[in-house]
Formats: sequence, structure tokens, C-alpha cells
Amino acid sequence: MPGLLHRFLALDRRWIFLLVLLSVAGPIIFPVGLPVTVTESTQKSFDYIEALKPGDIVWLSFDYGPSSAPENDPMAEAFLRQCLLKKVRVVVTALYPLGGLGLANQCLARITAEYPDAKYGVDYINLGYKDGATAVMRRLGDDISAAFPTDVSGRPLSEFPIMRGLKSIRDVKLVFTAATGLIGEYWITQVHSQIGTPVIIGPTAVSAPKYYAFINSGQLVGMLGGMKGAAEYELLLSRGHPELASLYRSTKGFTATKGMDGQTVLHGFILLFIVLGNIAFFQERAKKARA
Amino acid sequence: MRATASIFLLLTLLLTAAPAAASAPQTTPPPPPELPAASDFKAVDRPGDSGKAILLTWKDPATLPEGAMIEVRRAEPPADEFMTLKMVKPGTERFIDSKAEDGKTYRYELRVRGMETPDSLGIAGAVGPALVSDPVSSHDNWFRPERTNSLIANLIFITLILSSIAAARSGKPIFIRRIAGLNAVDEAIGRATELGKKVLYVPGIQSMDDIQTIASVAILGHVARATARYGTDLDVPNKDPLTFVSAREAVKAAYLAEGRPDLYREDMVNYVTYDQFAFTATVSARMIREKPAAIFLVGYFFAESLILAETGQSTGAIQIAGQADPTQLPFFVATCDYTLIGEELYAAGAYLSREPVLLGSMRGQDFAKALLMVVGITGIVAVSLGATWFLKIVQTQ
Amino acid sequence: MNFDLGRVTLVALFAIVPIVGIALGMRAPALRSKIPVLVAFFAGLIPIVSLYIPKDFMSGDSGMSPRLDQWLIIVAAFALLLGITNVLSVNNRKINRREPGWPYAVVLLTGLLVTGGLGIYGAISKQGIGLLPDGSSTPFNWITVYVFQSLQSTIFALLAFFMASAAVRAFRARNTEATILLIAGGIVMAGRVPLLEFLAAPFPPLQPSAAAASQGLGKATEWIMNIPNGAAQSGIIIGAALGGASMAIRVILGIERGYLGLGKGD
Repeated sequence: MPGLLHRFLALDRRWIFLLVLLSVAGPIIFPVGLPVTVTESTQKSFDYIEALKPGDIVWLSFDYGPSSAPENDPMAEAFLRQCLLKKVRVVVTALYPLGGLGLANQCLARITAEYPDAKYGVDYINLGYKDGATAVMRRLGDDISAAFPTDVSGRPLSEFPIMRGLKSIRDVKLVFTAATGLIGEYWITQVHSQIGTPVIIGPTAVSAPKYYAFINSGQLVGMLGGMKGAAEYELLLSRGHPELASLYRSTKGFTATKGMDGQTVLHGFILLFIVLGNIAFFQERAKKARA
Repeated sequence: MRATASIFLLLTLLLTAAPAAASAPQTTPPPPPELPAASDFKAVDRPGDSGKAILLTWKDPATLPEGAMIEVRRAEPPADEFMTLKMVKPGTERFIDSKAEDGKTYRYELRVRGMETPDSLGIAGAVGPALVSDPVSSHDNWFRPERTNSLIANLIFITLILSSIAAARSGKPIFIRRIAGLNAVDEAIGRATELGKKVLYVPGIQSMDDIQTIASVAILGHVARATARYGTDLDVPNKDPLTFVSAREAVKAAYLAEGRPDLYREDMVNYVTYDQFAFTATVSARMIREKPAAIFLVGYFFAESLILAETGQSTGAIQIAGQADPTQLPFFVATCDYTLIGEELYAAGAYLSREPVLLGSMRGQDFAKALLMVVGITGIVAVSLGATWFLKIVQTQ
Repeated sequence: MNFDLGRVTLVALFAIVPIVGIALGMRAPALRSKIPVLVAFFAGLIPIVSLYIPKDFMSGDSGMSPRLDQWLIIVAAFALLLGITNVLSVNNRKINRREPGWPYAVVLLTGLLVTGGLGIYGAISKQGIGLLPDGSSTPFNWITVYVFQSLQSTIFALLAFFMASAAVRAFRARNTEATILLIAGGIVMAGRVPLLEFLAAPFPPLQPSAAAASQGLGKATEWIMNIPNGAAQSGIIIGAALGGASMAIRVILGIERGYLGLGKGD
């Protein structure tokens, strides 16, 4: 046993890589269906959106690329579903340069297909991608059409009923940014701090710890931290809207809830290896002290 | 007798007609109830803006019936007819007309209007007395008053920095604490020289508009001087084109300054690609194939930080990382030999050069931090004791 | 003719001054270091001043500050051309000299030329680089969706493997700080996922206790993330912001010039 434990001290990382592969792939092939518990930051986000009224306008920004799509896509999809279900109108943009627009187009196409009553230009609109995130946000504070003169297909904004009465970002009730990198933070410092529009952020799990400081200071309404946050949000949606519960149960597509199974198994194995590695480390240290 | 009968008939007619008239259905509707008027109505150019906006403020009437709204109207030359701009909900007491043209003189009118709602209790269509403002025009302003506190704070900060720099120029010695990561720079380059391998320096993935990248390129200058001095090979891959151009100039200048322009090669500082993960894949592959002895990961990194650092760790190189943003710091701390945390990155220029002026600015920064801590603690105590006005002083817009 | 003060000032500061500087620098090398510092001074001063002065020429839609932001994007695009030229020359040299790793240079150049060529073709033929009117992909879009996005996701997925190996290696209780890191990391890793429920899944009598313990772990995780982590992050962010502001003042005032390749005495 001591010999086996000591192997952990010098374990070849490729064994760990193999274990990671099996931990993540296994639950995808053989779903476990583990429960998800809801955290305060996700609950606050959900409650805020749930309190919006039909006809209110929100802003959904796709500020991530394909690399973090497994974390951010479920958040954006769930938010879009909740808004379209509640007849809250959605303005969609993409500020992430590489792939943000493609993901926005794909997500909109997927989700609006579930709501055939939702009309483009009336219930939702896609303004497309614009470069220079902070400069765009500053212009949105004065005049949306200065930053986005047309929608994604090149039609003037004045043609769309959803844009009537919507002059600047001050007129929207909420900005939801599914973000990786800095762009999410810019929405807080440029839009919320300077204009006052409430912001909910859906960052990747790696960036999430930073945003607790913003939540505590009241600069964020709430946060969906990584895939766990997205899974919590899906759970809250299912509880609040039974029609979505059956959708999430039966869909063959990827959901954050499904992804949490793999993450749980992986965390378990990593913790086991950490414990075994530390036991071996202490035994080695005791042996050296005795010698 | 006939006259008496006539009078009697007339009286009878009069007496029967009056009640009939009294009980006949009314053909004209009763006048609507009188609605109260708002008060203290003012229209001024919106302060602290770039123009094209007029700010209207007023006080709602004390008793406003259910279903009443505040109607804002505007008259502009040449017609000077009042047209409705907006119906504002009671309680708002404020409206910004952001469709004004600079230089044009407008007049505004405010009145309470009954709307046709189920709760309007018969006031639908009723209109209260109108209040008319003085003529007003919009223009851009010279100052944003809501940012006065921020301006004062910045001026104090700049004063502290400049006065510390002035004190440093006078020759006063300035203490700076030991920063292990910066002390290890020479050690890392020395190790690479001994092993005959190169130094790999990655200046982050952001552009030169990010202050961390500027700090990183400044440190690159020091590292390049050391590699020029020791004759060690240097490789600087870049993700951003502006950073590539600056890094190239910094390295070229460093080799020239050390009197070793012969050692400088154009491909030392090279551009890879703008895509984050394509850049990561290239640099990781370079680490594995070329096995640099020293790796510097200094600047602004995102998700690729752990991939780069872990790959570097697997090659056995000595790694020095540095980032001001806290997001990726845990990964650097777990995988690198030395990590510059937060503002240590910005102190590197001063630390490595030991220039009194730069050290002086660090001192000024520390004074500013101490002042901020005092303000913070004062604020915690004040707000805990109920003095919430303190929050208004430090709130910025 | 309308006199646009903002535009005229920007052209004077960022076009005429650098050109004059370059011309003068050829005759007087001492001036070469002065002009970039002067340009940096104005480039830093204008956005700061525009925060406080909302005058149209400064902060308006076509004011100096927003225009400067746009010019930065344009300058970066030109710098991209320099970058691409460098990629072509470095990799071409590698192939010609058959340096180690030269086949990868062939792959890189092929990808660059094919993708760039398809993008230019899309622009010239007015097809664009997205979807065609019939909903099918342009060749550029096909490469984006089936090659680029897949490769991006693959490299990002490596993070999971590297995180696991880094955690196993780094979480050793070597000293007090490392032990605190280990304990906090362990609680957060266990509290963020329904690990206890997963372990109790084959043992039904233990499931209620596992659920309760998991709730407790979740609360402990939230406390660690909100309080110690939130405090540390705030401290680092504030310290770094002050450091960044101090560095920015040094750059704007020309005290810090290392990024220009200028050192002591330059």
C-alpha cells in the first residue's frame, strides 16, 4: 500500500488525463441524472427576469466564442426561452469578435423555432456584431442606431416595431451578457456604472470568482457562474414553467444539467487523487524526518 | 272671471311644467371634475451633457386621482404650437427631452390629464390647468457635475504621485520590498544561458491599449537587455498585431542599447495569429518542441493561461508569470515557479531599473492606497452608524 | 464650411505632429524619442479629459474621444497587415531552410492562404462569409463551423485535463498557506457539484443525510466564494486598479518609456 501511495507523488499526468476523459465521457454515455442545488446569485437573476412584464425590452449580448459554448450556450438559450415565454422582447447583439455572431445566429434559430408565435422585428431582433466593445457600449448609452444602424441583415432599425421608442440602452430593463473574457466586465463598468441599466452576467466558471465582488457591491443583479450556474437556471426554469421542464427532460440536445453529471464524477476523482497524494506526501515527509 | 281662469290655467301650467322640466333627462354631460395642477415646473438645459437634451422637473399635485397622467407638451418655432411629447406616470416628477436641437428655443407645457382607464372614475378626457415654462434651449456643457467627486479623487491621486516623484528626484532613498518573481528574472535568464536554450517571453494576449500589456512590454525591454548581455536566444510570440510591433521595437532597442545589434534577428519577435486558442496551440507546441529553459508569461491572459503554464511546467522550464487581473492568478500560482500578483506587475519597471523617479511614483501610489483604506474604513463606520450620506459622496456616475 | 474643432485637433495631434516628428527625427536623432512621448501624452489625456468635459467637440458622437477609439481600430487593422507579413516571411524562411518543424509551416501557410482567399472571394463575389440566401454555407462559413469552431473547442477542452493534473500536483499541504488552499479548494470542488448525492446513490438509507450534507457544503462554498474570495478579489482588483492608474500617469507624462524601447537616459 505505501508503495502504491508513493506512486501518486510521481504520477505521470497522462494517467490523470485518461481518468478525466473517462470521468467526463462516461456520464454523457450513461446519464446519471444528479440533482442540482440553486445558489443565491442564480436565484436573484431568475427572480429579476421573472418579475419583468410582457412588453418589457431586454438586451442579450453574445460575448463568447465557440470555445466556451458548452458553458455559455445553455445560459443564453435558457434566458431566451424565459423571455419569449413571458413575452418579454429581446434585442440580441454579439460583441465577441471571433464566433460571437455565429453563435448568436445559431442560438436564435434554435430557440425561436420553439416559439412560432414570436415574430422577428416585433418580439425579438438581431442587431449583429460590432467591433470595439467599450466604444459600442458608450454609444448605446446615447443612441442605439449610432452603434447599430441596421439589423444583422442590413435593414434600417426604423423598419422594426420593436425598435420604436427604444432610443438608447437606458430604455431597456436589463442587460444579460453571456461572456468570456473582459467584455462582460465592460457591461458593468461602462453601462451599469455610467447609465444605471441593471446587468446580469453569465461568465465562464473560471471568471466567476471575480464577479462575486461586483455582486456584493450591488453592481450586478446576479450571476450564472459557469455550467453549474446554467444548470441551476435550467432547474429554476423547469420549476417555474412546467412546459420547459418536459422540454429539458426530453431533449436530446446538450443541456448544462447533463454536463453537471460529468463534472461531478470528475471532481470526485480529482478529490480522491488529491487526498491520496497528500497521504503519500505526509508519509514521505515522516519517513524523511525519521531518517 | 275669465281673467281669473286664465291666471289659474297659467299657474297650473307653470306648476306642472316645473317638475316635468326638473325630471326631464339631461342632454348635456356634466362638466368633468377639476384636476389639480403640478407645481415648481422648471425646464432647463440638462446639466453636464453633450447637448440635445432639456431637463423638465416638477412636483406632482398632492392629490392626484387614479388614472391621471402628466402630459408633457412642447412648442417649437416657427409654429409655436404645443404638441404632446410624452405622457408621464405620476411619481416620476422628471422628464428628459432628448430630441431637442441645440440652439433652438423651446417652450414646454405641463398639465394633468385624465386617461381612459377602468379606474379613472369619470376623469377621462379631463385636463388640468397648464403650467408653461420659460423659453429654453439646449447646449453642450463644459463639465459633468455628477463626476466632481471622481475628479477630486483623481487630482488628489495625481498630486500624490507627482509630489512623490519630485521628492524622489531630490535624491531621497526609497525602499521597495523584495519581489521574488522579479529577483528571479536574472536567475532564469542565467539558467537559459547555461543550458544553451532560449528564453520564451509571452506578453499576454491583449493589445497595447491595455495597461498590463504596456507593463509587460516594458519588462520585455529589461529581459531583452539581459539576453543581449548574456548572448541568450529570445523568442517572443505575439497574438496582437499592435503588441507585436511594440515588442519588436522594444527588443530591437534593447539589443542596440546593449551594443549587440548583431545578435538581434527579425524572427525573434514574431506574430502568430489573432485567435486565442490557435495562438495557445502554437506556443504550446513551440514549448514542447524547442524546450526553452525559461518561460515568461507576463501580461493579460485568459483561459489559455493554464494550458500555457502547464505545458511549460511539463517541459521543466523555470516559469515566471505575472498578471494584474485576479482571474487567472490561481492557475499561475499553481503551475509557475514565481508569480507577480496584481500591482507587482506594474512595479516591475521601477523594481528592475531602480530609477528613483519610478520608485517615487510607487511611493505615491502607496500613499494613495493608504488614503483609500482610511476612506474605506471611515465609510464602513459611518454607514454602520447610519450616516448613509457618506455613500452619496463616494458614489460615481 | 463647418469647422469641426475635434477633427482638426485630432488630425493635428496624430497626423501632422508624427509626420513632422519623423521628418525632424531624421535630422535630429534626439527628437526621435520626444515625439512618440508627446503623441502618447495626448492619446492618454484626451479620453481622461472627455470623462469630465461633455462638450460636443470632446465627447459628442463625432468628438475627439469616440473618434480616437475608432482610429485605434483602424490602426490595429493596419498593424494586422504587418503581422500577416511577418507570418508569411518567418514561415517562408522556415520552409526554405528546412528548419525543424517546417511541415507545420506548410500547413500554417496553406490554412492562411486558403481561408484568407475564400474570405476575399466572398467579399468580391458579394456572397459574403456567412450563409447564402438558400441557407447553405459559403466555403468560408463551412471552414468556420466545421474546422475553426471544432479546433477552438478542442483546445479549450484541454483545460479540463490540465486543470486536473495541476490540481493533483499543486494541492499538497506543504505549509500553512498551501493547507488553507487545499482545504478551501476541496470544499469548493465538493460543494459546487452534487458529489455526496452521487456517492450515496447506491445506498438509499444514506441519501437524506447526503442531501443535507451537500446543502451544507453548498452553503460553505457560497460563504468561501462571497466572503474570503470576494474580499481577496476586491483587494487585488483595487490594488491593481491603483497600480494601473499610476502606470497610466507615468506613461502619459512620459516618465515610463520602457514600452517604447527607450531606457534610462533615452
